Amino acid sequence: MKFLYSDTQDYVDPGYDFLNDRCRPGRERYWSDVYAHEFMDPAPYDGLLVSMSAVRQAAGVATSKVRYSTREEQRLLRDGARQFLRYGGPRFKDTMLLGDCGAFAYVEHPVPAYAPEEVVEFYTEAGFTHGISPDHIIFACDLTNPSEQAVDAATRQRFAITLANAEVFLGLVKREGMPFEPLGPVQGWSPKSMAEAAHRLERMGYRYLAIGGLVPLKVDAIKAVLTAIRERIRPETEIHLLGFAKADSIHEFTGFGITSFDSTSPLIRAFKDEKANYYREGSDGRLEYYTAIRIPQATENARLMQGIKRGQFSAEDLLLRERRALIEVRAYDRGASSAEATLDAVMDYHQFLLRGDGTGAAQQDKALRKTAALVQRTLKHQPWKECDCAVCRDIGVEVIIFRSSNRNKRRGMHNLSVYHRHLSKTIQGTA
Amino acid sequence: MTTYRFTAVRAQQAPGHDVFVFAAHPADVLSFAAIERVARTDDGQLKGFQRHQVASHIRDIRDYLTREDALLPNAVIIAFIEGVTVKDLSDGLVQVQIDVTQDSRPGFVVDGQQRLTALSGINKPEFQVFVSAVICKDYNELRQQFVLINNTRPLPKTLIYELLPNVEGLPERFTQRKFSARIVDMLNFTRGSSLHGEVRQHTNPTGMISDTAMQRLIMNSASDGAIRSLMRFDDREERAFQLVSEFFHAVARVYGSAWYGMAPRFSRLRHGAGIVAMGFVMDHLHSLEGAKERGQFEPGLRLLAPHTAWTSGQWPLEAWDTRPWNGIQNTPSDIDLLTRYLVSSLKKALRKPRRIANG
Repeated sequence: MKFLYSDTQDYVDPGYDFLNDRCRPGRERYWSDVYAHEFMDPAPYDGLLVSMSAVRQAAGVATSKVRYSTREEQRLLRDGARQFLRYGGPRFKDTMLLGDCGAFAYVEHPVPAYAPEEVVEFYTEAGFTHGISPDHIIFACDLTNPSEQAVDAATRQRFAITLANAEVFLGLVKREGMPFEPLGPVQGWSPKSMAEAAHRLERMGYRYLAIGGLVPLKVDAIKAVLTAIRERIRPETEIHLLGFAKADSIHEFTGFGITSFDSTSPLIRAFKDEKANYYREGSDGRLEYYTAIRIPQATENARLMQGIKRGQFSAEDLLLRERRALIEVRAYDRGASSAEATLDAVMDYHQFLLRGDGTGAAQQDKALRKTAALVQRTLKHQPWKECDCAVCRDIGVEVIIFRSSNRNKRRGMHNLSVYHRHLSKTIQGTA
Repeated sequence: MTTYRFTAVRAQQAPGHDVFVFAAHPADVLSFAAIERVARTDDGQLKGFQRHQVASHIRDIRDYLTREDALLPNAVIIAFIEGVTVKDLSDGLVQVQIDVTQDSRPGFVVDGQQRLTALSGINKPEFQVFVSAVICKDYNELRQQFVLINNTRPLPKTLIYELLPNVEGLPERFTQRKFSARIVDMLNFTRGSSLHGEVRQHTNPTGMISDTAMQRLIMNSASDGAIRSLMRFDDREERAFQLVSEFFHAVARVYGSAWYGMAPRFSRLRHGAGIVAMGFVMDHLHSLEGAKERGQFEPGLRLLAPHTAWTSGQWPLEAWDTRPWNGIQNTPSDIDLLTRYLVSSLKKALRKPRRIANG
C-alpha cells in the first residue's frame, strides 16, 4: 500500500536561523528550500499527489485558493512536475506522481471547473504517472442506501457528471497514447451507489479507481463503502483512497486491496490540530501524539496583533514574555531549567493567546489549565530527544515549538516520516 | 526616581517652545520615553497615537544596523510635556535633565519607534542615536506634532526603482528588483536595444511601456524562466539584456503594426498585461525551442500571431470567456489568463507543423 503526500508547496529553508528567526541571507524561496523527500532519508512517502486546483485558478470560482503563481505554473508545465518537485533521479525512480483536480476547490460550483480536455492536457504536460478524471464531490453518504429517486437532483447530477467526464477522459487519454495511467473517480451518495459507479468505471475500461468523498466519513462508513465496492468489482482492479483523513486507522483497511491512498494529515496536524501536533511511535505499535509548545511571534501573530492594536496588550511587554518563554524552553532542553519554571514561562506568554477572546475569565482559565496539562506532558516526555529523524537531529527542541512556518513544517515532515515508518510496519504486520 | 542628563544643542524656533538635540543610547531613550500605541479605552476614547510594530520593517532595519559600518544620521523624535528641565549653558548649548519616576516615563516617541525597537534587539552597546526633543504644552499638541511629522509623502515607487541599480547595501528584498531595474535601464538606454527609449521612467517620461511591467517580466524570468539559466554567468546582466532585447526585436518584426509607436490603450501588446504575458512566451520559446536570437524567436511568434487580438478582434480565453481585444486588464488574474491562452495556443501551433513533418 503506497502512501502519497498531497503537496502544496511544502518546503523549508534548510539554513533557517532559529535563534534569530531569520531565513538564511540570500535565501530564495523554493530554490534554496528543500522538500521533505530531499531533507529526509528515506523519503517520508511513496509518491506525491498534486492537485490541479492548487496550480491553476479554478475557472469561475472566485474563492479558489491557488498556491502556485503564474510563473510557477508555467515552469511546472515546461519542466514537468517531477523536475519541479525535484522528485526525479534514481532515488525516486518508479515513484508515483498522481494528478487530480482538487475537487474541493470547486465544490460549490454546479459543474467541475476543468473540462476533461484541459485536464488531460495538464496531466500530460506536467508528466504525471497517474491522473484522475475530473470529478464532482458528493458529500453526504447515506449508509441506508436510498434509491436514485430518493436523492436530490443536484446529487444525481454530480453522479452523472463524474461518470460522463470519466468516459470522455478515458477516450482522450487513449487517443493521446496513454501518457499516464488514468484513474476513474468514484462518487456516490451511498455505499451502493458508489459500488455502482465503480462497476461502471470498470466497464468503461478503468483498471484503477479513486474513491472520493471520504473526508467527512467515519471509519465504519468508509469500511461499508469499501465492502460494497469490492463486491462489485474485480479483485485485480486497483483502488486509491482520495484524501484519506483516517490515515491513523490504516491498520483497519489492509483487507480491502488498497493500492494507494493520499493524506496530508500528518503534516497538517503539526500546526492545525488543537493538540496532536507531534507524532511518536508508541511502544505498542500505535501512534502517540504530543502538543507542540505554542510561542508565536508577538508582532506577527494575528491574534496577538489584534490585542496590541486594540490596546489590550503592550507590544513591548509581549516581546519580553515571548523572549523569556523561548529562553526557558531552550534552557530546559539543555537541562539548565526545570520543567516547572519552563511551564510557567510558557503559560505566562500563552495566556495572551486566550485573553481578549471574549469568552470570559472562567472559560479562559479552564482552557489555560487544559493547555498547561498538555504542555507539561510534552515537557516531561521530551519526545524530540528520542527521535533520530533528520529534522529532530538537526534542530532538536525547536521542532516542538509551535512558531513560524519553518518550525511547523519541519514538525510536519517529522510526522510524515514517523507515519510512513508506522505504515510500513503495519503492512508488514498484516502481510 | 532615575535622572538622565544630557548636553544638548538648542535651536531657535517658535517662541515659547523648546527644541533641542542630543545623543543617547537607544536603551536609555526607551527608559525615559514611551511608545504610546493608538488604542481605545474601555469607554471608547482614543488614546495614544503610534502605529503598531511592523515586524518586517524592524527586521530590515535590524539587518542593516547589525553591520559594522551602519550609520543612523536621522534623529528619533521625542516629545515631552513635563518631567524635563532645561538649563541654559552658552553658545546655544543647554543642559537637559529628564526625571523618570517609577511608574511613568515623561517622553513620548513621536518618530523612530521601529528604529528604536530594532536597536533594542541587537547587541551594540556603544551605538548612540540623535534625539531631537520638543516640549509640548499638552497631549493634544503632542498628537498634533505626531501627525505633522509623520504626514510625509513617500517617494514614488518608480523613482526608487530607477535609483535601485545604482545603490549598494540595500535590504535583501530589493535585490531581485534591483537586478530587473538594471536590465530595464539597459534596455531603455542602450543603442540598438529593441526597447531603446520605449520604457517610461522618471528620466524618460515620453516612454510608453510601463517600467514596472518590464521589471515584472524580468523578475518572472529570473526566478522561474529563461533568465534564471543565465544567472550563473558573470556577465548575466549583459546576457539577460540581450535575450530580452532580441525577443522584442522579433516581436516588433512579427507584430509590427501592433507594436511600433503604439500606446498601451491602442495595443494590448504594449500594455502591462501583454508585456508580462509575452514574457512567458519568451521563456517558453527559449526553453522548448532553444531560441536566443530574434531569428529564432520569429517562427514561433508567427505561429502565435493568428491567435492574438492585440489591437482588434476578440480573445477566446476560455470556452466561456471571450473578450474584446481591450477587455484584458493589468490584473494578476487577467495576466494569468492571457498567459495561459498565449502559451497553450503557441504549444498547439508548434505541435501541428511537427505532426505534419513526422508524417
